[in-house]
Amino acid sequence: MPSEFWRDRILILDGAMGTELQKRGLPAGAEPALWGLDHPSVLAAVHREYIEAGSQVIYANTFGVSPRKLAGSGRTAGQVIGGAVAAARQAAAGTGVKVALDIGPLGELLEPMGALAFEAAYEQFKEIAVAGARAGADLAVIETMTDLYEAKAALLAVKENTSLPAFVTMSFDGGGRTFTGCTVQSMARTLEGLGADAIGLNCSLGPDQLAPLLAELCRNTRLPVIAKPNAGLPDPADGHYDMGPEDFAAAMGPCLEAGASIVGGCCGTSPEYIRRLRNAVEGLAPAARVYEPASFVCTPVSPCRIDGVRIIGERVNPTGKKRFQQALLENDLDYILGVAIQQEDAGADILDVNVGYPGVNEAEMLPRVVKRLQSAVSLPLQLDSSDPDALEAGLRVYNGKAAVNSVNGEPAVLERVLPVVKKYGAAVVGLCLDKGGIPRTAEGRVAIARRILDAALSRGIPKEDVWIDCLTLTVSAEQDQARETLRAVRMVREDLGLQTVLGVSNISFGLPERPLITQAFLIQAMGAGLTLPIVNPNQREMLDAAAAFRALSGEDRGCAAYVERFAGQKAQAPGAVPPAPGRPAAPRAASTLEEAILRGLKEDAGRMAKEALRTEDELALVERRLIPALDRVGEDYEKGKVFLPQLLSAAQAAQAVFEVIRASIAEKGADPVKKGRLILATVHGDIHDIGKNIVKTVLENYGYEVIDLGKDVPPETVADAALREGVRLVGLSALMTTTLPAMEETIRQLRALPDPPVVMVGGAVLTPEYAVRMGADYYSKDARQSVEIAREVFGQ
Amino acid sequence: MKLNIDDALRYAGVRGAPPEDLRREMEDIAGVLEEKLFPRLTWRAWDLDRGTDGLTLRGAGVTLTGHTAERMLAGCRRAALMVCTAGGRFDALLRTEEARDMARAVLMDGCGSALVEAVCDEAEREIAARFPDLFLTDRFSPGYGDLPLDLQPALCAALDAARRVGVHVTDSLMLTPAKSVTAVVGLSDRPQAARIRGCAYCRLRETCSIRKGGKTCAI
Repeated sequence: MPSEFWRDRILILDGAMGTELQKRGLPAGAEPALWGLDHPSVLAAVHREYIEAGSQVIYANTFGVSPRKLAGSGRTAGQVIGGAVAAARQAAAGTGVKVALDIGPLGELLEPMGALAFEAAYEQFKEIAVAGARAGADLAVIETMTDLYEAKAALLAVKENTSLPAFVTMSFDGGGRTFTGCTVQSMARTLEGLGADAIGLNCSLGPDQLAPLLAELCRNTRLPVIAKPNAGLPDPADGHYDMGPEDFAAAMGPCLEAGASIVGGCCGTSPEYIRRLRNAVEGLAPAARVYEPASFVCTPVSPCRIDGVRIIGERVNPTGKKRFQQALLENDLDYILGVAIQQEDAGADILDVNVGYPGVNEAEMLPRVVKRLQSAVSLPLQLDSSDPDALEAGLRVYNGKAAVNSVNGEPAVLERVLPVVKKYGAAVVGLCLDKGGIPRTAEGRVAIARRILDAALSRGIPKEDVWIDCLTLTVSAEQDQARETLRAVRMVREDLGLQTVLGVSNISFGLPERPLITQAFLIQAMGAGLTLPIVNPNQREMLDAAAAFRALSGEDRGCAAYVERFAGQKAQAPGAVPPAPGRPAAPRAASTLEEAILRGLKEDAGRMAKEALRTEDELALVERRLIPALDRVGEDYEKGKVFLPQLLSAAQAAQAVFEVIRASIAEKGADPVKKGRLILATVHGDIHDIGKNIVKTVLENYGYEVIDLGKDVPPETVADAALREGVRLVGLSALMTTTLPAMEETIRQLRALPDPPVVMVGGAVLTPEYAVRMGADYYSKDARQSVEIAREVFGQ
Repeated sequence: MKLNIDDALRYAGVRGAPPEDLRREMEDIAGVLEEKLFPRLTWRAWDLDRGTDGLTLRGAGVTLTGHTAERMLAGCRRAALMVCTAGGRFDALLRTEEARDMARAVLMDGCGSALVEAVCDEAEREIAARFPDLFLTDRFSPGYGDLPLDLQPALCAALDAARRVGVHVTDSLMLTPAKSVTAVVGLSDRPQAARIRGCAYCRLRETCSIRKGGKTCAI
């Protein structure tokens, strides 16, 4: 289908299908797509009414079709889609009207909110897209999406497996967010980057509420914009929508003025609505559009427009960090997540993510780390790797618009990486170096920057997405180069008009009072035009300097953020929960390590552990001081004198002690203190894992090594892991009666192993009797009891 | 949406009179959640048909089987279904807090449960306001008494829960986002006595720690 069909003109879509089918006999509760397959003439009749009313694109009756939903129906997605598209094509024959394959949400939430993996969602969409193309659809419409991640899976499936144009519409509430918190900006810039042909909004709101959101959408995309709203709002008493055809058509006026050019109706509309709409838009041309070009990265919930200085946190990186290296080698993603959250709380805007280390397969590790970070960190990520396969794997599973760090002036590198950047709509950092090394002069570096920019532009990557790193050299070694770097930053900013990146900390290597030199250089660099400093956000001096710079540059209007940062306590990152008044910033300090643990004072406990290690060895510290203190809290918990949150506070204070011990051991290169390894998992079908995570927190802080398999874990995965890891103890958690059979099956498979481990089980619906009946060795009523069980099993 | 701090503390496993600092911390978390979350609800009412296999909501494609529905909806000619959720953002905030501070995460989890109860109360108020001449029964949910859990997909489909409030049902009949509830409430011409009978009907009665402590959760 040629793009003239939907560009630079008003294009009329159809209206609701489900309610039209109900009028013609679709029973309540029946699946419209399955019913339609047996009533093709009814489908064709509805389509014909829409065509007569003026629709130029009709949506085949394929909304909500998915291989999962059809399982057990005796029909395949191919059959249902084939039938629906054929009925639409029959109605459209000879009219010039185009038929859209309608792709709706799969009906279950994707990870991390639900259990469906991104890759599994992609496979389902692929089956749908291929079936639609084979059946002869003219385009694919991905609609009613509320999760940007699901929309991405669907869009990739259409683009990678068919040649159909792809429209994508999502559903927002009046506040401009989807149910999953996605913003209009994030949606627009992510989907345009991924290559959608038109984007827009459908369902959930009436046209009057949609217009302001459409205006925002139009500011954030160059693509044609779609508006397919509901007929107002439904009355819960009877389900009727409150807006008639005439009012609907009139209310669509502001949507068109806002810039929408592809229009139709969703829930509650009928052919009469489309007829009135057609009459209203007759002879109209699309409204003039004003796009705001912007350098931009995002996650669905956190758009980050780079219109001033934005801090890139550098800490997710193993270089020079033994503890981080150990975490990578041990697959300890929780540690990496902790490092990321700390930077978010400290005030970073973007996080650089580097997991390159000898012995680590980056192409496997990077996507896993991206998924884990995105499950709990809302900031956009900059994927940092020299391995193009790792970058592609990371970008594929990234939810939002990411940045890539980096390419350089080498043609072979540009050739290999830029197509990946373009395909996933990312921004890219270009380093001012090539085979000849780093040019000594600013002019030499700018020449390379220009080359990188030209290469990007020639591949369709807009200049806003090209960020240049003029490279920081160590001032103690090459003193003249600091000045050249600053000159290059100024030229790239002023002459090329590009965003500029610098890894700032390098400057001070080998000098005393490093933060002072680093901060001074950062301030000069921002003055020269640096917009994206890569720093350690946990160093207050750096963020203080950025805050001051924003006040002086006028970006921080009224100096409000600056005042807030220095008024009383530390400023909070947007996503952070501020410290509770109940746990004040500086409570009375603990006088002993034991007291620090009992009162849950993490910082005191860590500090005292460091002091204690001067006179005691690691093992003695754990056995003689840490464990007895934890036991005392445990006993108080048993007696009802303290509650679960306090038990966990104590466990976390113990964790701070363990971190000190781990770091000390990692420095010495000795074996970590570990009293026994066990596996924890929430069983298949169960996606609530806070109970398992509580048990994990407590067990880890007694010194046990926990292999956490996560939630919704299939029985064979648990059995495989138990065999592979050779653990003596497996703990299983289940919340619902419906997932107890999965627990039972997991136990059965564990029992069938050559040397079966001990199994403990827990969860809200379990009873001690049921645990025994399922074949478990122990029923654990709470986290505290799991420690007793571990002690019995491991003998310590 | 204001949530009940006592409920939240109870859901977080804090029994009896909590220490003051714990209550303050809970209030603080509740304040943050009340500001950051957009809880959602939707409901719809249908006429009830009494048949041999249970009570059917006419036109909804839902039949409520079992003794619980029969007892709870005795004397009702209509019934409303509701689905209420704290929203997916809660799950994300909880995951972050679990990584940051497990103790606070447990408190936050309790807040989420209390919040979705508050949303259900709001839905009841909306229903009562829309039908000023009718009286509401106690609300009850799949899993209570013998009302089967496998009604969840039909209830969510009848309410178009995925599109209206973003609530989905997994194959194992769990609702996502995590803090989501479906419930039934009867509508009658006559005033209704309370019918919820407490622990005897609860599936958690064997292991419930509140009950072991000699108290009830007041459901």
